[in-house]
Amino acid sequence: MKSSTLAKKIGFYVMIIIVWQGLDSADIWPDNIFPSPVDVVEDLAYGVADASLFYGIGTSLLRLGIGLTIAIAGGLVLGIFMARVETVNQTIGSLVLGLQSIPSIAWVPLAILWFGLTDTGIIFVVAIGAVFAVTINTYTGVKNINPSYIEAARNMGAKEGQLITSILIPAAFPFIISGFKQGWAFAWRGVIGAELLFSFLGLGFLLNVGRQLNDVSQVIAIMLVIMAIGILVDGVVFKKIEDKVMTRWGLR
Amino acid sequence: MGKLESRNIEKYFTHDGKPLKTLDGINVNVEDGEFVCIVGPSGCGKSTFLRITAGLEKPDDGEILLDNQPVNNTGPDRIMVFQEGALFPWLNVRDNVEYGLKIAGVSQEKRNEISNRYLDMMQLTQFATSYTYQLSTGMKQRVAIARALVMEPDVLLMDEPFAALDPQTRDLLLVEMQLIWQKTKKTIVFVTHNVAEAVMLGTRVLVFTHRPAIIKKEFKIDYKRPRVAEDENLLKYQKKILAELRPEVKK
Repeated sequence: MKSSTLAKKIGFYVMIIIVWQGLDSADIWPDNIFPSPVDVVEDLAYGVADASLFYGIGTSLLRLGIGLTIAIAGGLVLGIFMARVETVNQTIGSLVLGLQSIPSIAWVPLAILWFGLTDTGIIFVVAIGAVFAVTINTYTGVKNINPSYIEAARNMGAKEGQLITSILIPAAFPFIISGFKQGWAFAWRGVIGAELLFSFLGLGFLLNVGRQLNDVSQVIAIMLVIMAIGILVDGVVFKKIEDKVMTRWGLR
Repeated sequence: MGKLESRNIEKYFTHDGKPLKTLDGINVNVEDGEFVCIVGPSGCGKSTFLRITAGLEKPDDGEILLDNQPVNNTGPDRIMVFQEGALFPWLNVRDNVEYGLKIAGVSQEKRNEISNRYLDMMQLTQFATSYTYQLSTGMKQRVAIARALVMEPDVLLMDEPFAALDPQTRDLLLVEMQLIWQKTKKTIVFVTHNVAEAVMLGTRVLVFTHRPAIIKKEFKIDYKRPRVAEDENLLKYQKKILAELRPEVKK
């Protein structure tokens, strides 16, 4: 990042904090509705001190990690099948499009009925919320592969199985990585949403506790943490991978 | 009886819902170690013929024989060099060149040994760890040729591999291609729309007609090598071939 860009960003956030502090000092709203930045920072500090914040982050990320791994594995297999076998595309493909329009949170009642208030239920919500994004992007990626890659590989003796691992997945990777990114976004929303409703451990749970205790600064503190993790994963992890993939695959 | 034989190859394409005859009985007999060039007007089906030979497309009639055995699928005995190279951007130069060997289960040690030899032949050794986006078009085609040679195919099929190159790079590769052919003694079928290229490379040049294509005429090019682009004697061959080709292009 250029230093001038960084300076602008820092300036912007400093300004927000100043305005926030100013509004608080003006005493328009009571403190239990509108906390000061200091209250929120204190709340974060408590969370760090007794490690409850890290425990919450760890729990949410673990659920997300398991769910997203399942979604990625399932999405890759399903997407490749849809792209390679027309019948699968015409049948399962249409269903996938329909299922993708269901927000992950809408799976929560079904998850509770099937799995009870368990970790498995939350992981189910995460996985099902992300799997179709991975599927559709993988499908699009494989469909868009330069046909001469496949012909060259077949010509050099690649069998269908070798074709999948050595050509289809790497050639479609620029699309697949978009699928992972979308899948992550759905999974992240899904895990927080499910934790709010299931209410045990995790960041969503801490949000709910904040609400129950009327502790508005905790609610805002947790929201900031959720945002920070989102920025970190989207803006750092995925951006790095995407930059590398785009350059190497010659797409920029 | 030759190394590679095509017997009465016919091919139809569908155009506006109607069958369009593209190849109308192509009979070619390529001897072992021959360098056969095919020229023809664009859209005449010369590339299609090459793809059928490679097994990438099926003929509607006729057959391809390799060492008198009919072939009807792709196989590492007939390796194709594609017009745009079709290099895999996610692999570096060495891994691209070794791809076919890896697929065949050749050990890493053996793969390196073989790829080193061809990387050296194509003057790519210093680019072994480069990725395709870092290479010029000419370099990419060198990699594509190395990748094909590594497979040690019986027949090398080349589909306008130099069409996208600038003239200087092309002239250089045309000379190198002759040296490679002399060194490896490969049987090569080379499709091009460039008559000068065909005359420089070929031991024999086949002229395809406008579609439905048949072989209109063939020319033996008995001339010393390496042939260079500036050689005026080659122009005589070019003129004769162009005289056959020109009416076809106008159709």
